[in-house]
Amino acid sequence: MTRSKLAHGAFLLLIVALYVFLIAPIVIVVLASLNSGRFLVFPPEGFSLQWYVKFVNSRAFMRSFMFSLKLAALTTVIASVIGTAAALYVVRRARQSTTLRLLLVAPLQLPGIMTALALLIFYYAVGLGGTTYLGLLLGHVLVCMPYAFLTVSAVLYNFDRSLEEAARSLGAGAWRTFARITLPLIKGGVLSGAVFAFITSFDQFPISLLLGGVGTTPLPVQVFDYLRFSFDPTAAAVGTLNIVITLIVVIVTERLVGLESLYWGGQR
Amino acid sequence: MRRAAWLLVAPAVALVVVLFVMPYANLLVMSFFTPATTAPYEPTVTLGNYKVALADSFQWRVLWRTLKLGVLATVATLMLGYPLAWNLARASGRTKAALLVLLLSPLLVGVVIRSFGWMVLLADQGLVNSLLRRSGLAPGGFKLMYNEFGVLVGTVHIFLPFMVLSIAGALENIAPDLPLAARSLGASATKAFWRIVVPLSLPGVFAGCLLVFVLTVSSYVIPVLLGGFKVITTPLLVVQTAVDVSNWPGAAAQAVVLFAASLACIGVYVSLMNRAMRGLSG
Repeated sequence: MTRSKLAHGAFLLLIVALYVFLIAPIVIVVLASLNSGRFLVFPPEGFSLQWYVKFVNSRAFMRSFMFSLKLAALTTVIASVIGTAAALYVVRRARQSTTLRLLLVAPLQLPGIMTALALLIFYYAVGLGGTTYLGLLLGHVLVCMPYAFLTVSAVLYNFDRSLEEAARSLGAGAWRTFARITLPLIKGGVLSGAVFAFITSFDQFPISLLLGGVGTTPLPVQVFDYLRFSFDPTAAAVGTLNIVITLIVVIVTERLVGLESLYWGGQR
Repeated sequence: MRRAAWLLVAPAVALVVVLFVMPYANLLVMSFFTPATTAPYEPTVTLGNYKVALADSFQWRVLWRTLKLGVLATVATLMLGYPLAWNLARASGRTKAALLVLLLSPLLVGVVIRSFGWMVLLADQGLVNSLLRRSGLAPGGFKLMYNEFGVLVGTVHIFLPFMVLSIAGALENIAPDLPLAARSLGASATKAFWRIVVPLSLPGVFAGCLLVFVLTVSSYVIPVLLGGFKVITTPLLVVQTAVDVSNWPGAAAQAVVLFAASLACIGVYVSLMNRAMRGLSG
């Protein structure tokens, strides 16, 4: 009896340790951004906001930050529209077509860095040039669209079409039915897809590394360039800001459609 | 309206075909072109890139290291992920929701930022070493990053949630009365676990291992930041060859070799797993 209790206690301790392992680097980034020294040591050296001041005063970082926000917003809109439309077709007209579904989620299956390399060479081959804004945007849309497609599809599988038929039989046009009946009902899926797309684009690294150019450097690449050769806690301030933005996006979604729908693609 | 319905899916299909299928096809073709000094490539067909990628001992060592790190990361995430999945699958209600948030929130933070978190922890003057020195356990401290260990820690951290979700999904599908039935027939708790629960969770283990292996051998950020260019893996070499040396055919061939090698590893793994599954059912 006591032995099994001891084993159970040891097991719980292991679980706690593993969750600490999962959360540690994120908590550490926040702590490092508020630490006055260059290195986070024990005991802490003191509290300071100097890394945030350095971030705000850094033109390169601020420019990348604004650039990433705009890029992620534009990517999210395009990816959501394209992905939602595709989901409407696949679930309603081509439910049996595994090929079509596999094709649309294919960009998630191959490593981002290889996709980025393939795109870079392809852009050059078709004469678009290696690093253009259009090329970068299309690359982001490519890797974000499958999320919108997947989350909206998940909602549509359980969709009751009699509501639409009722609206149509009462004289509503196709667009009106979509805007007033379909869209409100699949809102959860669309929004969670948009959140995934936004976060994927805002944190996107490989595509941005190879396709971003001078003056069009997204934030993760800017941070990466800093960290490659030096160890600068300004990165921690950027990281904390990044975490805060992600949290805001997630919390707003939670208020709108519930967090469950974010994780389960609106299925439950 | 009805006839034009395919227009809904057209943009998405066009996007994937033009910007995904065609670029990869182009990459494959590129791997047979001749590298040139004045242009990124010369359109004369050759097998030379593959000769270099397969005959050069440096490239072999890099590929070997990449695959080795993939296997090590897979084994480590499996060993750490199974207990987490077991715990998650048995939780319910609010506890489960909280555990899911803890498990999934790291996924919402970009890989560059998370690698930075590990740099703060593992650096020579980092938190872990400063704690070790202060407590007197290891006055010299340890070299925890800019080596394979650091890369492994970062990789395991990034991919652990995928493994946990994959195994937990399989564990949740096991009817709860099955282990109970085994117990009532006289099996000990340990025996019921190893003979009933573990075999039935194998499909989840299988999927999780595949996912982690594939993600690890193609990861780029973690080997660069936590390996500090001392742990060269194939994706690093591919990018270096393409961007720094501007040898596109060479980079394309290296990428194709990596894909082929990881497919071969997956093939071996799948046949081993199939044998294991057959052994169980027989």
